[in-house]
Amino acid sequence: MPLLIDRQPVTDDSWQPLDADATQLPAGQDLIVPLARFDELADALERHDGAVAPMVTGEDDLTPLLDSLERFAMIAVEFPVFRDGRGFSIARILRQAGYTGQLRAVGNVARDQLGYLERCGFDAFAFSDEVYAEHFLNAFDEISVRYQGCADDPRPIYLQN
Amino acid sequence: MYIYNEVDQKIVDERVAQFRDQTRRYLAGELSDDEFLAVRLMNGLYIQRHAPMLRVAIPYGLISSRQLRKLAHIARTYDKGYGHFTTRTNIQFNWPKLEDVPDILAELAEVQMHAIQTSGNCIRNTTTDQFAGVTPDELEDPRPWCEIIRQWSTLHPEFAYLPRKFKIAVTGSPRDRAASQVHDIGLHLVQNDAGEIGFEVLVGGGLGRTPVIGKLIRPFLQKKDLLSYLEAILRVYNLKGRRDNKYKARIKILVEAMGIDAFRDEVEAEWEKIRGSELELTDAEIARVKGFFQPFAYDADAANDTTLQQKLDSDEAFRVWYERNTHEHKVPGYRSVVVSLKPQLAPAGDITDRQMEVVADLAEQYSFGEARSTHEQNLVLADVKNADLYAVWQALDEHNMARPNIGTLTDMIVCPGFDFCALANAKTLNIAEQINRAFDDLDYLYDLGEIRLNMSGCINACGHHHVGGIGILGVDKKGEDWYQITIGGSDREDAALGKVLGKAVAADDVADTLKKILETYVELRTEEERFVDTVRRVGVTPFKENVYATAH
Ligand code: HEM
Ligand code: SF4
Repeated sequence: MPLLIDRQPVTDDSWQPLDADATQLPAGQDLIVPLARFDELADALERHDGAVAPMVTGEDDLTPLLDSLERFAMIAVEFPVFRDGRGFSIARILRQAGYTGQLRAVGNVARDQLGYLERCGFDAFAFSDEVYAEHFLNAFDEISVRYQGCADDPRPIYLQN
Repeated sequence: MYIYNEVDQKIVDERVAQFRDQTRRYLAGELSDDEFLAVRLMNGLYIQRHAPMLRVAIPYGLISSRQLRKLAHIARTYDKGYGHFTTRTNIQFNWPKLEDVPDILAELAEVQMHAIQTSGNCIRNTTTDQFAGVTPDELEDPRPWCEIIRQWSTLHPEFAYLPRKFKIAVTGSPRDRAASQVHDIGLHLVQNDAGEIGFEVLVGGGLGRTPVIGKLIRPFLQKKDLLSYLEAILRVYNLKGRRDNKYKARIKILVEAMGIDAFRDEVEAEWEKIRGSELELTDAEIARVKGFFQPFAYDADAANDTTLQQKLDSDEAFRVWYERNTHEHKVPGYRSVVVSLKPQLAPAGDITDRQMEVVADLAEQYSFGEARSTHEQNLVLADVKNADLYAVWQALDEHNMARPNIGTLTDMIVCPGFDFCALANAKTLNIAEQINRAFDDLDYLYDLGEIRLNMSGCINACGHHHVGGIGILGVDKKGEDWYQITIGGSDREDAALGKVLGKAVAADDVADTLKKILETYVELRTEEERFVDTVRRVGVTPFKENVYATAH
């Protein structure tokens, strides 16, 4: 699965999504687990010997997550369809709350959204094999000027040097 | 007016290059229909009945002579020689070719124009009062605030994939000329008890399938907090607005579902987290933007003119036009001129390339090089000296833009309807023509006084029919066009939704039905009572009885 981190293609990625029907956590694996399943899997997560990253969707209540951000080296935000823009605001809320780990956009992420996603605080993007193409790397720089502050730089244009 | 700096220019230039590449990838089959749909909508490009339709932004309706000439050039070169002004003060071209659009955008960029965010589920062009900055009843000029909102909302990375489109209007005078109460956010400059000026904030207005008047979310917002408050509202909406059904996705539905108090609580909680951040506007920035909207170098001698009075006394047609189509100006010796795009025989809001050039020339010669577009689909020359009014009138008259009907029944807002729009249920242009023919007697129109007639070709309500004093909605009944009529609506400070008169009428009967409605009004009105006030006082019943009495 093609993955970009900090605008670079990355091949050695340890994170695996937890199978939807799994009730046990595969030992030693770094796992991406839907936040919605955290309660149900609480004991297993507690005992798990690999790392865990929550996967957040627009349906989730973020409040419990905001209290424990420092526990996670990575948080994934799911885009069910590319037109569903809730993930943009989720990223901003996480960054605003002080989250500094990796923020990964997963699901249906379109090339022409990459610049905006990055501005909102994402630094990693996972694509399906069918959609990814090398020119995606060019998408970040297409618009170089920004009027308003965002997660990348909180200053509006008139305060940028 | 706001002048682009290098940064603004770079944004539009880069955007053109980006869209050129997107169009290329689409035509080469590298971009899916769905993805291209989203990016072309963010560049104002719809696919309509005949061809693509390109909507060009006119930020808060302010346009220079140079820009108007460019629009004329585009109409001539890439379209069929005309454009169409919309209720959101933008201009639409109905016939461009898809492969020409990148070139059109490049031409627009030369004059600091673009089509960014004129469609799609993002923050659209912010609109305001067409007499902003020059009307005597104003508390403060709203345009600098529109410009501040424009910069903040342009290519805002967080709010490009909202549940639905998002429209903001700002007013600076107690008289609402921007239909602000039917916008997703309406901002009114107001003064609090301490004498400070800030914003009254309304949220959740809108038309379409479910028309709603905006609700008060905050009676007074400090100016410096404007952007943080807007950002808080947009964030709550982006996260909570419905995405499962596009007819229920506007913020109005969310606000109704949560209730305004619960919605306010969420917004204010979010706002608390961000209000002190870099979103807080600095005095220096406010002053900088205000600097672009300083009063012109008005002629101190303008009020001493005597020629206007002579012309008014000697030329009846001019006097009639002057009374109907000009508006008070705060500087003595000046008036604002409304350029009527409501002639007898052309669609409301349509303007030819030649007419655009005439307005551009008049603006340059007599009105400091600027014109404005109105939500009623007319244009305005805001700063004309009394002594020049006669010459302006003559030129407008020669080019069919001086029909003295502003504010009357035939100053209709009309959407393009079935002739152009793929979503339409019924035609609108033929009905407008029928009404124009039936109500050609100016004395009668003047006697009827101020009436806002609004017409839409389907329930999407682009023609604002719900808030017309008389609203006409085209409906499809077994393949035939029928028209549902509402009365008593208003898009002003007394905003209200019209009430349905009765069952829909056939296409041929629309003008006759209006005649009966107006007959009833003339009979029942008290002296000086506007049409909507009579409807409010006596209710729909007397109108209904007169209209349907002979029908069975
Ligand atoms: C011909 C192409 C057009 C198409 C396909 C189109 C489509 C639509 C649709 C689908 C809506 C409903 C949106 C919603 O409720 O969420 C809408 C609303 C609106 N349209 Fe258009 N429109 C077109 C032309 C125009 C024109 C020419 C005008 C101005 C005269 C206009 C002004 C508006 C306005 C002001 C609204 C907002 C109503 C509201 O607040 O809900 N549109 N349009
Ligand atoms: S109201 Fe309907 S018919 Fe008219 S322009 Fe809008 S979508 Fe088209």
